[in-house]
Amino acid sequence: MPLQGGVIAISGLVKRFRVDGAELTALGGVDLWIAPGEFLTVVGASGCGKSTLLRLIAGLEHADAGVLSHDGAPIAGPSLARGLVFQEPRLFPWLTVAQNVAVGLENAPLSRAEKALAVAEHLTLVGLSAFARAWPHQLSGGMAQRVAIARGLVNRPDVLLLDEPFGALDMLTRARLQDELRAIQQRAGATTVFVTHDVDEAAYLGDRVVVLAPRPGRIREIVDVKLPARRDRADPRLAGVRERVLRALGEDPGYPRPALVADAAWRRPATLAPAAVLQ
Amino acid sequence: MIAAPAARAWPGPRRRLARASAAAGLIVPLSLLVLWQMGAHRGWITPQILPAPDAVWAAAADLWDSGDLQANIAVSLRRVAEGGAAGTLAGLLLGAAMGLSPAIEDYLKPTFLALAQVPSLALIPLLMMLLGIGEALKLVVIAKATLVPVALNTHRGIRAVPADYKEVGALFRFSRAQTLRRIVLPAAAPPIFTGLRYGLSHAWLALVAVELLASTEGLGYLLVWGRQMFQLDTVLVAMAAIAAIGLALDRSLAFGEARFARWRAPA
Ligand SMILES: Nc1ncnc2c1ncn2[C@@H]1O[C@H](COP(=O)(O)OP(=O)(O)OP(=O)(O)O)[C@@H](O)[C@H]1O
Ligand SMILES: [Mg+2]
Repeated sequence: MPLQGGVIAISGLVKRFRVDGAELTALGGVDLWIAPGEFLTVVGASGCGKSTLLRLIAGLEHADAGVLSHDGAPIAGPSLARGLVFQEPRLFPWLTVAQNVAVGLENAPLSRAEKALAVAEHLTLVGLSAFARAWPHQLSGGMAQRVAIARGLVNRPDVLLLDEPFGALDMLTRARLQDELRAIQQRAGATTVFVTHDVDEAAYLGDRVVVLAPRPGRIREIVDVKLPARRDRADPRLAGVRERVLRALGEDPGYPRPALVADAAWRRPATLAPAAVLQ
Repeated sequence: MIAAPAARAWPGPRRRLARASAAAGLIVPLSLLVLWQMGAHRGWITPQILPAPDAVWAAAADLWDSGDLQANIAVSLRRVAEGGAAGTLAGLLLGAAMGLSPAIEDYLKPTFLALAQVPSLALIPLLMMLLGIGEALKLVVIAKATLVPVALNTHRGIRAVPADYKEVGALFRFSRAQTLRRIVLPAAAPPIFTGLRYGLSHAWLALVAVELLASTEGLGYLLVWGRQMFQLDTVLVAMAAIAAIGLALDRSLAFGEARFARWRAPA
């Protein structure tokens, strides 16, 4: 692979919010180094700071302590080199689907024709070229999310941040887009941070899986996937990754435990868990 | 891929529905008209109190043939156009300034809200002393009546632009001008348009009021003149003209609004 950009370095990252006069520590000291071209997936219970972490990397939030840098330069604000797909689609209702994707290129140094081409390509990618002239209110939730993905990708950023992008999709579309995303990521070599609730998805897509713990949000464990880039969903080694991620999550009483884990190693720490979950 | 959607905003069934409900709305006025005609011809109502519809129609024809009706309508429309344009412009500027700048809002909003509470009619006596009863008075009253709803809705519309949308702009490094043109303006356009509609209808009402009180021409004056001459048919013609023109003005803006915001989900 050629020498490339896209290194994200995070150290001692703290982010607090004031909620009703009380201080809430959304992220309490996160250290993370993301290699260029790496596909990092992030899992964790609801409210543990996954979106906050992505927004900080994107430059939409400012850290209360710690340092974030992109290729050595401190992150002080948004950059076209870092693309973010929000947890909600956030399409502009007054623009058509194609125009919404073109919003991502508003400040890109491309000609009109190049922009039109890039928009068309990315609409095809998410399977919505027939809907280029539709209005957002005419789309289903999953379609709207795909438009948002196209808008996030259209700039071909070095660093791609995705916040539960496939949450609203059916299984087939989801599987297809997972493979599409992996392929794009391989081709473009974009460093990717992908937040998800789905442990299968995290294991299948990630080079590493970051497991966050809540209150305050921090890294509980980083599971190294160590599988080839081209993956098979039926690969038995994926089950091992899943299990390790689930075990790391399982130490967190806030995370719902899956009922069907027929593994003795998983059961052992679970002696504590049922009561903890019910609290 | 499944069939492509028609990207048309207003599909057929809604139109049919709109036509049906318009027809339903005609039932009451038409029944009243029939009742009125019957009442007049059977002597239930004396013509001195309420002339029959056909008498009113004849009066309208007379007023039209003499050119009086057109002349008075033209005067009224010109006043609304001038006062309304001034009020709209000022209202848009004031509303945008208060919506975009918290500092300007802090300085101007209390005064503006106080002014908004004073009915345009209540300003007339004071303004008569300041401006006399000439055209300036009418212009100022109509402009004030227009300004308030335009400024209020522009201000609120700009304030209500979701922060989420502006964040999308920030993500793609929109400049302030780009954010304004590509996000704030389109997001605030529907409430601003609503403000323009209110502005125009307030302008029309204020016009009639000021013409009733201080004018020698215009539809409001026709109304006063008819009453003084005990020509109730003239009064009714003037009233009908006021209602018809007011409705036409509002409908034309509503039509523009619907075309303009064709991206909105059918409510
Ligand atoms: N703008 C904000 N103001 C106040 N509190 C906030 C804000 N944004 C996030 N928080 C708080 O920070 C914590 C982390 O929020 P965040 O959205 O990052 O969670 P998350 O891991 O993305 O959750 P989910 O999986 O439900 O999306 C939550 O407790 C939330 O209430
Ligand atoms: Mg989130």
